Amino acid sequence: MNIEPKPASVAARAEEVDTVNRQARYAKVDRAFAVLLVIQWAAGIAAALWLSPFAWAGKEKVLHVHVWLAVLGGGGIVLLPILLAIFRPGWVVTRHVIAASQMLSSALLIHLTGGRIETHFHVFGSLAFLAFYLDWTVLITATLVVAADHFLRGIYWPESVYGIANPEWWRFLEHAGWVAFCDTWLIWGCVLGRREAKAAAMRQAEVEHLTEQEQLKSAALQMALAEMTA
Amino acid sequence: MKRPILIAAFTLAGAVWVVTVAAAVRSIRAFESTPGRAAAAPERWPSSSAIARQPGTWTLVMLVHPHCSCSRASVAELAAIVEKAPRNVRTYVLAYRPHEFGEAWSRSDVWTAARRIPRVQVLTDVDAREAKRFGAFTSGQTFLFDPDGNRRYSGGVTLLRGHAGLNSGRAEVIRLVNGGKGPGAHPVFGCAIVSKEAP
Repeated sequence: MNIEPKPASVAARAEEVDTVNRQARYAKVDRAFAVLLVIQWAAGIAAALWLSPFAWAGKEKVLHVHVWLAVLGGGGIVLLPILLAIFRPGWVVTRHVIAASQMLSSALLIHLTGGRIETHFHVFGSLAFLAFYLDWTVLITATLVVAADHFLRGIYWPESVYGIANPEWWRFLEHAGWVAFCDTWLIWGCVLGRREAKAAAMRQAEVEHLTEQEQLKSAALQMALAEMTA
Repeated sequence: MKRPILIAAFTLAGAVWVVTVAAAVRSIRAFESTPGRAAAAPERWPSSSAIARQPGTWTLVMLVHPHCSCSRASVAELAAIVEKAPRNVRTYVLAYRPHEFGEAWSRSDVWTAARRIPRVQVLTDVDAREAKRFGAFTSGQTFLFDPDGNRRYSGGVTLLRGHAGLNSGRAEVIRLVNGGKGPGAHPVFGCAIVSKEAP
């Protein structure tokens, strides 16, 4: 059986199909994250109003700082990524800003719920959502934001991250280790996903090429038949 | 949208983004790390207190504002202390209530959480009379008195405002109530039990 080498046009077409599909995915996930960020913003406000609506002094009450933080801080965090998702979907900067904002939203939600361990699951859920891009570099951006948050707060405000004022020096590595554990599998999943997407694009280009060849053969045959009958 | 307008919008949004994150971290740090007013605590059990101290036993007292969301963490820490303390320690949580409000006013989730702790009596502190006798100003203020009625601890039992978790205040109370030496103290984090204008 002879295997004919693929013409350069097939490889070029596969690249073209892959680029179009990839951009469509990036834009779709950008828009999904824009919706998610708004939902998270609303959830943060709801959590603040439910858990700590007021700060008290005897009979007097004032709006709790957590409510202001949820409204203004949460709004500020989601403003740029939402604008980018609307006006520049699919742009490389858009998804990296979204990745950073998603992790900042995690940090905000953790704070609004009083540092609950359960809210820390949001970090790992967010990494899984970011893997939908099939672009492993956004996971690195997200991880760097988490690492920077832990590193800086570990130096200047350790009790807010670790619950104690003088954590062991390796505490940072323990937290980062779990994120790296999650990242390792998600990055592998992204690489596999991209390979499969490229293979699918190549198959589509080949099918298009074969269909084109068959259409040319069919046209030539019809012409030959027409000449014979004339 | 025209390119210059888009660039200006993104630049502005980027600046808002950076400023917001910095301002949020700064404000939350200031809020959570600033302790409340420390107690002017008496050296011995206040004789004017309506609580009948049982001589010969340790007594632990926590004063809370029932609507102070930060005090959920203080009550959670109290539960951890009670678990590690000898069973005969008498523990009281005094929940503030202004006289013009009914009993239902003080029945908050902080109250419910305190009621769930074994061997803890939750009492209402009308108009913060007991808080004044103990010299307490901030919700979460905790006192430990030894079997002779001497104050051995005065302070909070959380590391930050509204943050439960291991901290030196909690550890100190557990150490003292189990026979540790010396007096103990720790900053207290929470809402003010009475307003500044109150007498």
